[in-house]
Amino acid sequence: MTQQWLPAFAYLAIAASASAIMIIAGLILRVKAKVDEPSKYDTYECGEEPDGNTWIRFHPRYYVVALVFVLFDAEAAFVLPWALNLRELGQFAILEMFLFLAVLMVGWLYAVRKGAIQWQ
Amino acid sequence: MSAVANGFAALDGIEILAVDGLLAVSALGLLLVDVAMPAGNKRVIGYGALLLLGLAFAATFTLDLTGTALSGAYVGDGFAIWCKRIFIGAGFFGVLGGLDSTARIGPRRQGEYYQLLLMSVLGMTLLAGARDLILLMVSFELMSLPLYAMAAWGGIGNYPEQKGPIPGMTMPSKRRWHRPAEAGLKLYLVGAVSTVVALYGISLVFGLGGSTRFAVLATTLTGGPLLTLAVAMIVAGFAFKIGAAPFHMWVPDTYEGASTPFVAFLSVAPKAAGFAALVQLLLGPLAGMAATWTTLVVVLIVVSLLVGNLMAVPQQNIKRMLGFSGVAQMGFGLMALLAAGSVTAHDVASRGVRPEGLATLLFFLAAYMVANMGAFFTVEAVAAAGYTPGKPADERDDDDTLPTFAGLHSRSPALALAGLLFVLSLGGIPFAVGFWAKVWVLLSLWAAGFGWLVVMAAALSAAGLFYYLQVARSMYMKAPVGADGTTLPAVKVGGGLLLAIVLLALLTMGVGLFPGPVMEAARIAAGL
Repeated sequence: MTQQWLPAFAYLAIAASASAIMIIAGLILRVKAKVDEPSKYDTYECGEEPDGNTWIRFHPRYYVVALVFVLFDAEAAFVLPWALNLRELGQFAILEMFLFLAVLMVGWLYAVRKGAIQWQ
Repeated sequence: MSAVANGFAALDGIEILAVDGLLAVSALGLLLVDVAMPAGNKRVIGYGALLLLGLAFAATFTLDLTGTALSGAYVGDGFAIWCKRIFIGAGFFGVLGGLDSTARIGPRRQGEYYQLLLMSVLGMTLLAGARDLILLMVSFELMSLPLYAMAAWGGIGNYPEQKGPIPGMTMPSKRRWHRPAEAGLKLYLVGAVSTVVALYGISLVFGLGGSTRFAVLATTLTGGPLLTLAVAMIVAGFAFKIGAAPFHMWVPDTYEGASTPFVAFLSVAPKAAGFAALVQLLLGPLAGMAATWTTLVVVLIVVSLLVGNLMAVPQQNIKRMLGFSGVAQMGFGLMALLAAGSVTAHDVASRGVRPEGLATLLFFLAAYMVANMGAFFTVEAVAAAGYTPGKPADERDDDDTLPTFAGLHSRSPALALAGLLFVLSLGGIPFAVGFWAKVWVLLSLWAAGFGWLVVMAAALSAAGLFYYLQVARSMYMKAPVGADGTTLPAVKVGGGLLLAIVLLALLTMGVGLFPGPVMEAARIAAGL
């Protein structure tokens, strides 16, 4: 029982110590400001002056574009490993991939017809 | 690697998924029809969905759906086919009773609504025969995700104050406009959390058993503290889904906020699917852990019966009341599950106990479906027939409260009779189908040796009659006068809603008078 779980516990220990080391090393190594600069509290400390605050409304078309992007992102995640193994998988895989793509295309067609990529 | 080497072998037996394939093609096809159609009222898509669901329902009777498919990940047996009929039937009635309401809420968005409903039903039908953890979870999520969007139907977007009301649409009040969004969000949050909990339990099962296939897990799972934790998480996760107390808090709020015909579907089909998943897991690979999960299920039953029956009493909103009554009904469903899991081979051999638990569960789910959908459709009919006249639009929020049922007998005798039939069935009064369901569950539980639970359930059911009969009292013994002294209008029901109520009332009464053949069919479906 304990033997079996040894790798899991080792993994947990490494994960915990890695984050601890990062925090402690940061405390020791980082440059500390002598005076409390107001620019420390800016959104970007790299010199870029922020314009307005972050609580602004985004146009919902970004959200629709992101959704359509997910469609093709998911497609790529499946198509790439499929293409690598196509030779072994054979005809069945070709059939199945075309089925999968057809279902995705229905979603794509729907998005296009509903004006998801019209940018007015 | 054998599955990779001969890919076409994975298609062996795929014909038993014919009904599921029909549903998948229907859902995608309706979406394509929707985008090809000119904008405007898309009511015809509802008729299409109705036709396709009817075809799928008929196909469960005409096609031979028994066998094994997907390399053993899917098994079509009597249980799966019975469940499919419940799911498709609930989908059919959900579409039929909601034709008007869906067109009223969003005339231009009907295509999406029916597509989501069909997808949800597809998830359920796949779930019914899943013998693989991954297939089980994926189909469960395919069922759940559309429900979140459907619960929020009509509740998103700004209230059109400046632009004026949308043509062809009955404007609800502002408070009511946003209520479906609340319902959808509550269902989504609770649903997502419960999925995570159940999924964690399932991942532990996979880790301990070394496979996702139930057939392998049944032999490799041996027990231990981690498996106990996994069983507890699975039971808790699915108890959220079926809305059993103490995981029921989303039920009344979601029922109150979402559109009533959708709630009719939500209150039966996903619950039956939750039971199907519990049966697959608890009576399948986790049958060896029966000692653990029966304890958990007993706790759920006791709390559900208490909370459901007692909290339903003070409810004034009839949808909330039916929500809490549903919690109590889930207690009964879990009792059937308990009976199914507690009768061991030893009991059968030594005491001659018939292991009828699974058959009673199947019969109970069907009985609950017809009566509960009927009750919600009656609420919809009364609410849709007339907001209280003379009231300003902003106060038209009280249309599903108990007072709107006052004197329904004189306003629409037939609807009152149907409503009475549904609440009597839910209450378990003889010669409605719910009576046989409850009695059969109690008998099988008694045979399984839980006498004290039977006594408690019978006592609490009698207490539960109080709130069911309150509706009957309101309909039959009160004058048709509203709270403000105005006479309530006559109720006219037409179209799909009328047909749905008539069919469900006939089923409730017909099976109630002649339960024998259906019970026998349930026994056969359960493999007895």
